[in-house]
Order: sequence, then structure tokens, then C-alpha cells
Amino acid sequence: MSARQSAIIGLGLTPMSTKPGGSAAELAARALRAALDDAGLAHTELDGLLVGSSQGVRPDRVGVTLAAQAGLGDLRLLEHVEIKGATTVAMVRRAQLAIRTGEARTVACVFADAPLRAAGGAGSTYARSGGNSGVRGLERASGVLGSVPTYALLAARWLAVTGGSPDDLGSVALAARAWAQGNPDAVQRTPLDADTYRASPMVSTPLRRLDCARPVNGAAAVVLSPDLPAARHTPVRVIGSGRAHPVRRRRAGDESWFGGGRAAVEDALAEAGLSRGDLDVLELYDPFTIVTLCLLEEYGFCGPGQAGPLARSGALAPGGALPTNTGGGQLSGFYLQGMTPLVEAIVQLRGDGGDRQVTGARTALVGGIGGRIDHHACLVLEAA
Amino acid sequence: MTETVGVVAEDWLLGAELAPAVDGDPLAPLYSGAADGLLVLPFCPACGLALELEQRVCDGCATTGADWRPVDPRGTVHSVTMVHRLERGLVRARAPYPVADVEMAGGHRLVLTSLEPLPHPPAIGDAVSIGFRRLGDVAVPAFTARTTPHGEREDP
Repeated sequence: MSARQSAIIGLGLTPMSTKPGGSAAELAARALRAALDDAGLAHTELDGLLVGSSQGVRPDRVGVTLAAQAGLGDLRLLEHVEIKGATTVAMVRRAQLAIRTGEARTVACVFADAPLRAAGGAGSTYARSGGNSGVRGLERASGVLGSVPTYALLAARWLAVTGGSPDDLGSVALAARAWAQGNPDAVQRTPLDADTYRASPMVSTPLRRLDCARPVNGAAAVVLSPDLPAARHTPVRVIGSGRAHPVRRRRAGDESWFGGGRAAVEDALAEAGLSRGDLDVLELYDPFTIVTLCLLEEYGFCGPGQAGPLARSGALAPGGALPTNTGGGQLSGFYLQGMTPLVEAIVQLRGDGGDRQVTGARTALVGGIGGRIDHHACLVLEAA
Repeated sequence: MTETVGVVAEDWLLGAELAPAVDGDPLAPLYSGAADGLLVLPFCPACGLALELEQRVCDGCATTGADWRPVDPRGTVHSVTMVHRLERGLVRARAPYPVADVEMAGGHRLVLTSLEPLPHPPAIGDAVSIGFRRLGDVAVPAFTARTTPHGEREDP
């Protein structure tokens, strides 16, 4: 069997809700249906399903039983993929390779999460997740509830070492919000200025509420196939992929921003035959403003210590030289882990970005990170 | 600010439901040492490299196993945050509390809160020492400012 080229031909989203409602499985099934409709496919035409779920310990996290819940059958590929926040990017690569080798022909990748409960907001859900064993048990017993304090430690260290100011973080939040204003799916679209950012409630110094992603109940799915539907949407090809799992250890004397992720970008660009300057949009994983700064430097889009000045220059924002997280990212768009950057890249490369469309966008970098920036997975996408 | 209910002192920061699992936990030797007032941390039994708390094979020399032993309780602050989000039902404190990433003299890194309420956190690079809070039935390491016999803060 000859190697088969595939493309992303279907994209499906549920509404992104900041209120409780819908189990992860229900949301996943709806996104899957929407992606099949978008691709013009019947559910019986799907022969591969890859499922990603939130890594939090939640009773309703989706897994391979989603196939049954979503009315699918006779699949040739069915897997629950798990490398934390890097999962979505890994699923898309897995789907591409499965199609290339003939394991399956038409493969959907779906992610769903439902952290908002009637019993409390997403912050409470995260604060109550994690258990009381091992290192997490000790951290939780030390007041590290949810992930904000961990990233706050990273941000505090970063600002101390780079000589940066909280406005470096604020510039990232402002750029994300400016992009979100053009994205109807974004949950935070109110115009934001620096004074409003500075008045945002502190969560864990130096991170304010506006430095943190907005969790949603929602789901997203994509469909990959070698069979391109006639003129429905611009197909989006995966032309490069890279992974890096540096498996760092935290020891005295080591920095908090770990390193080891650049190989994921280098490998993806090398496979694509592109350089950084060829990329039209960057879609990075941005659960906190500090992570955008870390990744810009880690991935080689600026020199050491230059991420803060780059953000303050307006380069990341609409009209800037380095359009980044053009749907508002996880910060102002919606937090669906790795699906957030993937979805926005597809929208941009289809030319469906409406008010936030980057003119002439043909190539995109999609970055996924997992753990505490322990896992990196990158894709280079191109409009076919 | 420690309150007492009956004879059991409650932790200044958290409710006892956040007490770590001890029996059979990967960190059991740490809690066992803490109960005796000692900071006990894992090292490679062959080359002596400081291991992460759940690490069981040395990344330096590939030796299996962890040798848990008491360490110098002195460290310096690598980073520190004041947590303003006081999760209702879990956090007893009514004011922001510190969490610090502490670099131990022996090479380990520990993310801990302070021994007592601390309205003004230490700065990055400050010298700290490790003591123990009591959360439920479990002694948990916590940092405290390191001072000289004259009451001045010691340099790291």
C-alpha cells in the first residue's frame, strides 16, 4: 500500500460554556458530530477515533468508551492518548501516521473537558483535584491547590532573573484579549486596557486572574482523511511534527524554566522544510501569561531575556510582526488544552478568521505542552 | 495563631483533610523522619546524587533504589509566591499565605509553605531553615526564616 497523504478536513466545536452543564462525554459526542458534519461525512465512514481527556482525576473524563457513547462501531483504530497538555498535538500526528500506514482511513481526534460543576467553579474543581499522595500530596499539604501557585513560582523567578516587570505578563494578557475580540467563540471579549489588567484580583503573586486561562465546559474535534471533500473548506495539511520530553529533574542550582523543548520546534520545522520566519501565525499553549513568555524564548522566537520586551512591543498582538494566539488563546479564548491552539490554526489557515483573520496566513506553528512544561509537541500546518 | 480544639492543635493554614497519605506513600520515609523532627530526603545509594522525592532510579548512574537520610535543614529561597486565593473549605487562613520553592543545601528542591503565618514573605535568595507543621496527624516540612543568634537574618 502506498503512503497516503492526509489533511484535516473537519473541525467541530461545542459552544464554550463558562457555566456548568454537559458531561465531558456528551460534549465530546457533540463536537465529533459537528466535525463529521463539517467534513461532510457520515459517522459510519469514520474508522479511527483518538480520544484525549483532561489529566485531572475526574470521574467523567472521556476515554475509549466514547466510541460506544458516540454511536460509533467497526473502528480499526481506537486509542486514549495521554501526554497531558501535549495530547492533542500527539493525537493529530498519530492520526496522520495511521492514515499514512493504512491502519485507518478516516480518523477523528476529540478532546472534551467539563471542569465547571454546579458545586463550584473551575478554580474549586482544580483546587480539589490532585489527591493526597506522593509529591502532589506534599505540595497540596503545603497550600499548592490547583496549578496557579506552581506557575506563580515560575513567574516570580522569571521576573527576578530577567529583570522583567509585571507589565511583561500584562502585555501578553492584553494581546490575547485584543485577538479574542475578533473570535466569536472566545469567552472573554471585553476590551482590556493596562489599568484594568493591573486592577485584576491577585490569585498568587505575581499572577492575577487575568494572567490565568478561562476554563470552560466544552469540546473540540478534528477529522483527518486522505479524501478531500470538494471545495468545502481549505484542507489543512500537517507538514511537520516534533516532540521533546526533556524529563528534567528539579534540583538546587537548576533554573525553573527547564529547557529542552526547542528540539520539538526544530524537528517540526525541519520536516516541513521551513524556518521560523516562514511561519505566518504562532498558536502556543498559554494557560498562564508567563507560559507564553517562556515558550517564545524556549522555541527560539526571541533571544534570552527578550520575551518580555517583545510582548511589550506589541509584536504578538493584532497588527504585530509575530501574530500569536490569534483567537485569544487559552487566556481569553477558551481553555481546551491543546485543542485551543490547534483549532485556531485551522481557522486561520482556512481563512475563516473573520475579524481576527491574519491576512494571507498559509502556515502555522501549533504548540502543545504538558505537565509543568515537561512535554512539548509541535506541528507545522499548511493550507493545502 | 495556632488554635486548639480539645488537645489537637490545628494547622494555621489548611484543614486536616489535606493531610498527606502516609502509610504506603512513596514519601513515607519523609513523613516518618518529620515525625521525629528530622528532614529526611532520598539520595542515590551508589553515587549520592540528590533524587526527586518519587525518583527510584538514579539519572546519573542508573542505580536502583533510594537511600533516605537526614539532611542539613538549611536552604535558600529559589522562588516565592503569596497565594491570595483562599479556597473555601480547604484553607483556614484568612490572609494571603506564602509558598516557596526552597533549594536545600544537599541539592533537593522542596515546595513548602511557612511554619507560621507570614504576612511578608522572604525574598528570592533569602536563607531559610526547615521546621515542621502538624496537619492532622502528619508532620509536614515547612520553611522558617533563618536568623543568627542575634536575631538578624543570616546570609545564604
